[in-house]
Amino acid sequence: MWVYEKKLLYPVEVTTCNPMLAKYLMEQYGGADGELAAALRYMNQRYTVPDTVIGVLTDISTEEFSHLEMLATMIYKLTKDATPEQLEKAGLGAHFVNHGHSLFYNNAGGVPFTSTYIQSKGDPIADLYEDIAAEEKARATYQWLIDISDDPGVTDALRFLRERENVHSLRFRESVEILKDERDRKKIF
Amino acid sequence: MNANEEEWNMLKKVQQADFVVVELTLYTDTHPNDIEALKQWRDAIKEASRVRREYEARFGPLSLLSVPSSQALDVGWRWSNTPWPWQR
Repeated sequence: MWVYEKKLLYPVEVTTCNPMLAKYLMEQYGGADGELAAALRYMNQRYTVPDTVIGVLTDISTEEFSHLEMLATMIYKLTKDATPEQLEKAGLGAHFVNHGHSLFYNNAGGVPFTSTYIQSKGDPIADLYEDIAAEEKARATYQWLIDISDDPGVTDALRFLRERENVHSLRFRESVEILKDERDRKKIF
Repeated sequence: MNANEEEWNMLKKVQQADFVVVELTLYTDTHPNDIEALKQWRDAIKEASRVRREYEARFGPLSLLSVPSSQALDVGWRWSNTPWPWQR
């Protein structure tokens, strides 16, 4: 089970109303390499991986949900005071017509989230390689978002998230090595 | 420093201390035999719970795992009170 914590993983301070930036951030909210995809991917893979790597999948998945909440906070704050005209100008006219000021699991292009973004192969090595790739793609997306962000508070939070993807990638790489060692030991004895 | 600012600063300390736990938990997941890391992880949990107790005694629980002080209840703390994290 999970227990809600009434705080973010890392503080998010947003300077101004900026629906254009919010639209870009949706790539990491409901996009193929975004936080929702990451959280759901790991949380689902963990049931059929060896015991030695269940912890890392559970804990990283849980952290991804806290990243999702940070993204939601940024998008909410950047759009909550925007007029329909401002949203339209930022390319969020179609979003407004369907969702009003509420959030939705879309990518930056307005394409809704789909579980076809993620996999679970029942093969731990295949799954972990996908997870490493997912972290690297998320890291790259955060870099592009940092490059395009004109809000210092958002940029600060994005830098934090980019670093987390690096750490997660490293932990998944170590997990692959743990499984390879286990496999090799089985061959020897 | 007004009460709001003080609350925000103390909350940031909780976030900081909790983050150390998150990071060391992931590290020890893949380094279960690193005794020094395990020690740091235990210490980080102790520190996080100390910082959290300080915050919660004054401003109320951050999760339903903590017992709300009668002082917090008396001054109107309720779990469903605002602000939620995205409203700050």
